[in-house]
Amino acid sequence: MNLNLLSYALFFPTMVGIAVRVARVCHRNGRVWMLRIFDNEAPFVDAVNHILRVGCYVVNAGYIAIVLGLWEPVSTVPQMLGVLSQRIALILFTLAGLHYQNIAVLLIWSRFKHRTTLKTRTP
Amino acid sequence: MTTRIVLAYMIYLPLALGLTLYVARALFTNGRIFMLDIFKGRQDIANATNKLFEVGFYLLNMGFALLILKIDQGQRFEYDPVLREQVTTYTRLLDTNQEMVEALAKKIGGFAILLGVMLFLNLFLFFRGRKKSRQSMMEQPDPNVTAPAR
Repeated sequence: MNLNLLSYALFFPTMVGIAVRVARVCHRNGRVWMLRIFDNEAPFVDAVNHILRVGCYVVNAGYIAIVLGLWEPVSTVPQMLGVLSQRIALILFTLAGLHYQNIAVLLIWSRFKHRTTLKTRTP
Repeated sequence: MTTRIVLAYMIYLPLALGLTLYVARALFTNGRIFMLDIFKGRQDIANATNKLFEVGFYLLNMGFALLILKIDQGQRFEYDPVLREQVTTYTRLLDTNQEMVEALAKKIGGFAILLGVMLFLNLFLFFRGRKKSRQSMMEQPDPNVTAPAR
């Protein structure tokens, strides 16, 4: 069997699975923060949360597919393992970066929101 | 290999169009809440605007999916040591299944990222509209309150 195709078959499902898992975790735990930011308007928060989750799926799966499309030719099994681990590390680092960026946005936004509400309350 | 190119198109088209449908549905079933906020609870106009935006989203993205459908022949510029000059070689196209998978992955991945960008752009527009409508609501003078005498 072609080693390139074998590594694609290993790479794509695993990485998409991990990306979907991460998106689910964000979806579940980000909701509390968004409720805090949007004054406990539950239907609105659920709508935004759902849209964000779909966006997360689409962008991450697209990035994974592009990394797969730019794969280098592989001829031996040790080389395949090396390249595979390198690409998996690349995807994991990207996911981690996006994740921390998400957390930072939530923190900054909620702090900003809190400050403005405090300002409006004080005369 | 023309048959393999046709096969790649047959795989690409349903995937790209299905992806567009999925994203648009996620965006616009939840977009109704934004529209109700923007149009201050008027159901009919909110639904109508939402539908119009949905159709626009379909047209734009499906058009783009068809636009990038064509799989081009690859050109490579290389220095040939025998001829001692720059030569243009045309990479043979989709001769193997591997090349087909790679070409498809690039196309579909790029299209998926485009869809993600469009989704976030739409979300940004929704948020902006909501903010504007809230601002205008605050600025509008309340008709029940008489203006203070000068």
